[in-house]
Parts: sequence; C-alpha cells; structure tokens
Amino acid sequence: MAKHFQRQGRRILGLDKQSWIKGFFGGNAGISIVVLFLICFFLMLEAFRFFPSHHEGLQVYRKSGQEYVGHLMEQADGYQEFVSFTNQAYFAEYDARYTKERGIKDSWDALLGEIEDEGEDLAEVLEDARDEEDEAAIAEAEGAYRTFLKDLTASVSRQSIDSFGRLEGHDDTWEKLLLAAQTYDPVEEETPDFVAEAIQVQKEGMHSFTEAKGEIAAAGTELKDLRSKLVAITAKIAEDAEAGQSARARKEALLAGATKMEGEDKAAALEEAEKIVIQDEFPFGERVQPLEEAKEAHRQAVAKMRTKLAVGIAKLPAQLESDKAAQLIAQIKNGQERFLDNVDRSLEKAQDWEFDKDVGFFESVAKFFFGRDWITNSSWTNVYGLLPLLTGSVVISCIALFFAVPLSIGAAIYVNRLATLREQNLIKPSIEMIQAIPSIVLGFFGIMVLGQHLQDWSQAAWVPEFLQIKDRLNAFNAGLLLALMAVPTIFTLCEDALNNVPRAYTEASLALGASKLQTVTRVIVPTAISGILAAVLLGLGRVIGETMVVLLVAGNRISMPDWGQGLGLMMQPTHTMTGIIAQEMPEVGEGTLHYRALFLVGLVLFSISLSINITAQRIIKRLGNV
Amino acid sequence: MNDSSVTLDSADAPAIAVNEPIISIDDLSFSYDLGKTNTLRNISLEIPAGKVTAFIGPSGCGKSTLLRCLNRMNDLVDTAKVTTGKISILGQDINAPDVEAIELRKHIGMVFQKYNPFPKSIYENVAYGLRVQGINSKSVLDQAVEESLQKSALWSEVKDRLNTSALGLSGGQQQRLCIARTIAVKPQIVLMDEPCSALDPIATARIEELIAELQQDFTIVIVTHNMQQATRVSDRTAFFYLGELIEYDETSTIFGNPKVKQTEDYVSGRFG
Ligand SMILES: Nc1ncnc2c1ncn2[C@@H]1O[C@H](COP(=O)(O)OP(=O)(O)O)[C@@H](O)[C@H]1O
Ligand SMILES: [Mg+2]
Repeated sequence: MAKHFQRQGRRILGLDKQSWIKGFFGGNAGISIVVLFLICFFLMLEAFRFFPSHHEGLQVYRKSGQEYVGHLMEQADGYQEFVSFTNQAYFAEYDARYTKERGIKDSWDALLGEIEDEGEDLAEVLEDARDEEDEAAIAEAEGAYRTFLKDLTASVSRQSIDSFGRLEGHDDTWEKLLLAAQTYDPVEEETPDFVAEAIQVQKEGMHSFTEAKGEIAAAGTELKDLRSKLVAITAKIAEDAEAGQSARARKEALLAGATKMEGEDKAAALEEAEKIVIQDEFPFGERVQPLEEAKEAHRQAVAKMRTKLAVGIAKLPAQLESDKAAQLIAQIKNGQERFLDNVDRSLEKAQDWEFDKDVGFFESVAKFFFGRDWITNSSWTNVYGLLPLLTGSVVISCIALFFAVPLSIGAAIYVNRLATLREQNLIKPSIEMIQAIPSIVLGFFGIMVLGQHLQDWSQAAWVPEFLQIKDRLNAFNAGLLLALMAVPTIFTLCEDALNNVPRAYTEASLALGASKLQTVTRVIVPTAISGILAAVLLGLGRVIGETMVVLLVAGNRISMPDWGQGLGLMMQPTHTMTGIIAQEMPEVGEGTLHYRALFLVGLVLFSISLSINITAQRIIKRLGNV
Repeated sequence: MNDSSVTLDSADAPAIAVNEPIISIDDLSFSYDLGKTNTLRNISLEIPAGKVTAFIGPSGCGKSTLLRCLNRMNDLVDTAKVTTGKISILGQDINAPDVEAIELRKHIGMVFQKYNPFPKSIYENVAYGLRVQGINSKSVLDQAVEESLQKSALWSEVKDRLNTSALGLSGGQQQRLCIARTIAVKPQIVLMDEPCSALDPIATARIEELIAELQQDFTIVIVTHNMQQATRVSDRTAFFYLGELIEYDETSTIFGNPKVKQTEDYVSGRFG
C-alpha cells in the first residue's frame, strides 16, 4: 500500500507537534487553577489554625485571672473618663470666669520667678546686711535692690510673663503689677494685696467646683489601687503559665543538644536542663487565690466609687459661664446612668468569674467574629475581634458606592443613549483612563490634597456640626477615592448592560411618543437592571478588596464607629480588613496567634469577595434569558 | 363615529372625510448623509384617510425610509436630512421648526418588522403609550388596555394572563400585541413596516384580517414585499424603485393594468 495520509514530522518523547502545542496551552490554564487551589488551601490552613490557639489563649486569660481583672479595668477606665471630663470642665470654667484673676496670679508668679532668678545674689547681700543690723549696709543693699527691680521691670517682656495674654485689655493692672514688683522685698516675701485678693476671689468662686472635683477624683482611689495590684499579680501568673507550657519543650531541646556536646559544655547544658522543673499542671487554683480574696474588696471599692461619684456629680455647679464646661458637665450627667449600669453588669460578670470554668470553643469563635476590639502588641493581652475592621471596610465601601453608583450609571446612560458620537469618543476613554492611575498615586493625592481640602470645606458655615472633619485622614476621604476607583468598573459594565438592550425597544418606545428620558427610565434601565446590579456588585468587590488607598488615607484607627454620631461616623478615621493585613503582616512572627488572626481576616475578605463575584456572575447569567 | 369620515379621538385632530388626503408628500427628497446622496428622490403622493395604502418595491428601494419619514423616526440618525420638499399630515408640515416629534408620534403609530414588545407584562406593554403621556388612572388604563386588545383580536387569548411577561407569547401574538400597544394611544395613522415578514402563514393571515378591521378606525400605511399581501389588504399601492416613486394607483390597477413597464415587470415577478 502506498503511504498516504501519514502523520508528518518528528515525534518528541512520543508526542507529536500538535500534542505539544495543546499541552503548552493546557498547561498554562492548569497552572492558574492549581495556583488558585494552593492559595485557597494555604489560606485556610493557616486561618483555621487560629481557632485552637485562640481558644487556648482565652483559656489562659480566664485561668490566670486576667479575665477578672479585665472587668475591673473596664470599670476603672470608665470611671477615669469622668475624672478627666471633670478636670477639663473645671479648667474651662476657671478660665472663662477668672481670666483676669488668673492673669494676675500667673503673671505675679512669673514675675517673682524672674526676680528670684536674677536677683538671687543681691537678695542675699540684703539679708546678710539686715542680719548684721548695719544701717549703712542695709541702705546700700536696699538701694541696689531697688535699682535692680527698676531695671528688671523696665526690661521685662510682657509676652513672656503673661504668656496666655490673660491681661490683655487690662493695662492698668499690668502697670500695677510692675509697680508692686518694684517695691518687692525679697526677705519679707510679701504678696501684694491686690494679688492676694485675686487669688482669694478665684478660690472662693471655684470653691464648690473644687470640692466636687475633689470628690470625683477621690471616688475611685481604692478601685485604682486594687487594679494596679491585681494587674501585677495576674500578669505574672500568665507569664509563668506560659513559661510552664514551654518548659517541657525547652528541657527536651536542651537534653537533645547536650548529647551532641562534649565536656564542660555538656555538663552546663545538663545542669541547665535539670533546673527546669516540669509541672504537669500549672497550679492556677493556688495562684489565683489572692483574686478570690480580693473579690470582697472589689465589691466595696465599686460601691464606694458609685456613691462618691454620685455625690461629686451632684455637687457640680449648674450655672456655668463657659459653654465648653457646660457641655462637658452635661455629658457627665447624661453618661452617669449608663456608666453605672455598665459597672453593675461588669461587676456581676467579674463576681461570676471562676478560674476553672471552661471557655466554650464556640464562644472563642464568636469572640473573633463579634469581638469589638482588635488590640495587638499589648503588654496586657492581645484581643482579636473582627467587627471594627469589618465595619470599617463596610462603611468605606458604602461611602464609595454612594458616590460611584449614581455617577457611573448616569455617565453610562449618557454615553450610551444620549451623547453624540464625539462626546462618546471623549468620555469613554477618559473614564477608562481612571483605571490607569496607580492606587498609590491616588492615596498620595488623598493625603496631600483631598484630605486638606475636605477638612477646610467641612468648616464652612452651612456644613452641619456633625459632618465637620476633625481628622484629615478618615473614612470619607478614603471612600471618595475608592469611589473614583470603582467608577470605571461600574461604568464599563453598565455601559455593556445598556448596550445589550435591543435598539428595537428604544424605537418602539419613541414611536409611542415617549421622550428620550422616558425611554431611558422606563424601558432601558429596567431592561438592563440585572446587568447594572451586577456592575454595582463587581464595583463593590473592587472597592472592598482595595488596600493601598485605605491604608494611606483611612486614618487607621481601630475602633468601632461611634454610632451616636449618625452620619458623622463617616468623618471618623477607621481601619479596614485589607489595611490591617498590609500593616501588620510584615511584623508578625510566623505561626503566632497574631499571624493566624491576620490570615483569618484574609480568609473572611476572600469569602466576601468570592460571594460578591459569584452573585454577580449569577445575575449576569440570568441576564442571558431576559 | 360617522362611517363616512374618520373622526379620531385626539382633541386637536380635525376630522377628515374618508378618501380625502390625510398625508400629502410633495416633492420629497431625503438623504442619510446630510445631502450628499439622496436615498429618496422627488417623491410626491397623497395618502387617503381611512384606507390602506401599500408601499411595494424591491429591497433597498427606500420603502422603510419613506415610512420612517412620516413619523420622523429618521431623527434618530444624526446625519439624516430632508433635502427638498415637504410632508404635510392633517395639513401640518411635520418638519416645521415648531413641530415636536414626540407630539407627532402620538398621532402616528408604528408597527415594526420584527415584533418588539417590551420585556414587561402584557398589560404594561399596552398601557405604555398612555403612561408616558402621564395617564396613570387605573380605570382609564384598564379600559384602554381591554379595548385595544379587543380591537387587535388578542383579548380572548390573553385576558387571563395580563400580568405575565409579553415575551411568553407566540410570535404572531407578540406582533398583535405590538399593534394593540400602538392603537392604545388612539393615533390617526398606523404605519406598518413589513409586519408579517417574521411570521408564519397562519399568523400572517390573522394579521391581515386584523388590518382589514383596523381600517375602519385608522388610516393604514403598510410596507410589504409580498405582492399577494398587497392585493389582499390594500386599497391603493405605491411602487418604488431606487428611491423614486414609479407608479401610484388603485391596487387593482397596479396589479391588473399597470401603466409603467417597470411596475408590470415587478408585479409579474420578472425582477426584484
Ligand atoms: N439608518 C440608515 N443610515 C444610512 N443608510 C440607510 C439607513 N437605513 C437605510 N439606509 C439605506 O437606505 C436605502 C433604503 O433602505 P430602506 O428604506 O430600508 O429600503 P427598503 O425598506 O425598501 O428595503 C438602502 O440603500 C439602505 O442601505
Ligand atoms: Mg425595509
């Protein structure tokens, strides 16, 4: 038979050219899929290992009594806030009411300081002369001292003496001070009458406030003492327990190392290993005994704090001259009840604390997902709570979508249905160009330009108080930049969706006497709605996964938003899931709890993005059979 | 309503006696490229009220273009331009500066070659034209929907599923729904651009029956490439060739005894 239809070309490793080409392209696709699976696997492996360690950590937190002290700290911190508010109010009021008097007193003190510094030698000469009762010497020394005072008062700078300008507009008083200074006697050290009077007036005027302040400041003394005592005890317990846990491993390592050593080194290593005592069970029960004993003292301290605080607050003056003080005191009075409720609840929890009650595994998981704090590198205890990061991401995304969605949909409708060809050719590439801006550049812009301008604009008179920006870097700023980043995504996909609406619908609508706008709102948008929705979702996916901009611009403060501020919470700095990973990952030790916590945050983020994308895909697929 | 005249409900519409010209086209030339080339050239014809007028001619001769000039659908093409002549409908020059295309289209409905109901319910499709005019009263809409569906012979088939999607109907039903949608706004004139070309013979027959009935209430202009259809449904026929009107007369004359050779060749199937 003749050789027809035979395969041409050489075979390599038993495969012909076609198979190799096919293998090459197939291999590329395969690698992508394998890499995706590896990433998922690795992410989950590290993330899921967080839970057992976290559970163990919480267990130790409870057993060592740190949990108990944690409650106590909460109470003490809450109380401390009242003290600091009171102090602020006190000084605000003081300043408002006795500006001049304070000016007199402070300026006098400052003048005396100058006089005593500069005239120390002359004063000594005068004192010696008086001691020796030598009339001539006395006269001479007094004369010299007068001249010194005259020179000094003539040359002294008013600005450095009355540094807060409290005597502005009281030139006669200032003159009076200088005059009094000129007759000052360094031996007698007498305070001039009008200065003494000013001091007296302040003292009397502030008397009741001072008393209230003292009462409030003294209310928590016992609580604070107890706090520092117990903090020290429990921190030590936790440390020892930690050491105990690693003791066995250390001992084994030393013994293993010793077998490879010789002579003295070996003896030293063996000795060291010998010194390590392995306790089968760390004696938590024994160690936390002092806490059990402190429970009664704790109850009493809290009771005392409650009553004294109430007394102190009741004594706070009602008539105030300073608005700031009035505001602060209103806050104190409003917050009082809630604080006391919290204290009661927290005290109850503290009293219920038992070192050997197990922490449920589910509880430890919930502590991560619903925890309201994320505290790391703490000398006390690290807390890994997802909520502040999650809410941060959500708040920023909402802001971004709020601006990006109407903008992109509007632009898409305009370009697709209303614009002339020339406008289309201008607008479309411009919007798509936004995508080419590197996010680091946007972040830079956000810090240097947008942040400052937004802050300035927010000070305008028509902006309501709660929207005024206090921190240049905040969620709103980041949200705006992310909106910009989301616009091209949403715009392009929206435009596609609108493009998929058959022209025939437009014609039919127009032929029925509808205007272009009616056609858009009543036919085109409803028809494309699922495509638009998918576009918005993919925009959300883009926004929630964005890292660089939020890291630079969001302000990176880890805290739950202050819901009481309403929309004002947009103006607060915040932190995000992406930001925290980028920020903390470089500096955590591999395999630590912190490291795994970050992985878990990454996994949560991944799941969110994935579900957003899958939903969008589904919607788009459904679009096919309108 | 008076049988010998087509009075139409629109308030500002003058009543025009049957057979009086309702559309007058005078020396119309039309271009898709700002006048460089004329797609339609020097066309003059008068379309009588209350009758069915058919446009026939080989593909690409400009039948659809002329039809779309009548309700100014060509406004959608940026470079479209009427180069000479004018079109008067009900005595009004429709390209006059103060004529609003939207208002015009409320009086001149259009049914397209490919049925194109909106992806909405049957009810909303029919109500659409009224809704965009700001009519939202349920009773008015209910009545208009029922009346229009009755007239387009669709009511009995869909009355139990008015709120289901229009896209669930068969092709013929969808086209009748488009007709119902068009007549719901009570236009004086209905333009139809090859309304049966996407339908099977049975659905086509139903539409043709419908056209005969609608003729009582509307002036109808229909483009068709199907000669039998033109003979069956129309009273008068215009034959176009390469953008020019070759012959325009009673349908029976065009098909039985045409005066121009080209017409004869075309209707006897010798070209086209
Ligand atoms: N929107 C348009 N823009 C430019 N030229 C068009 C457009 N629509 C139709 N034409 C051209 O105008 C001529 C007439 O088309 P048309 O009126 O659709 O013919 P018919 O309906 O008789 O088949 C054709 O040559 C066609 O290519
Ligand atoms: Mg056509």
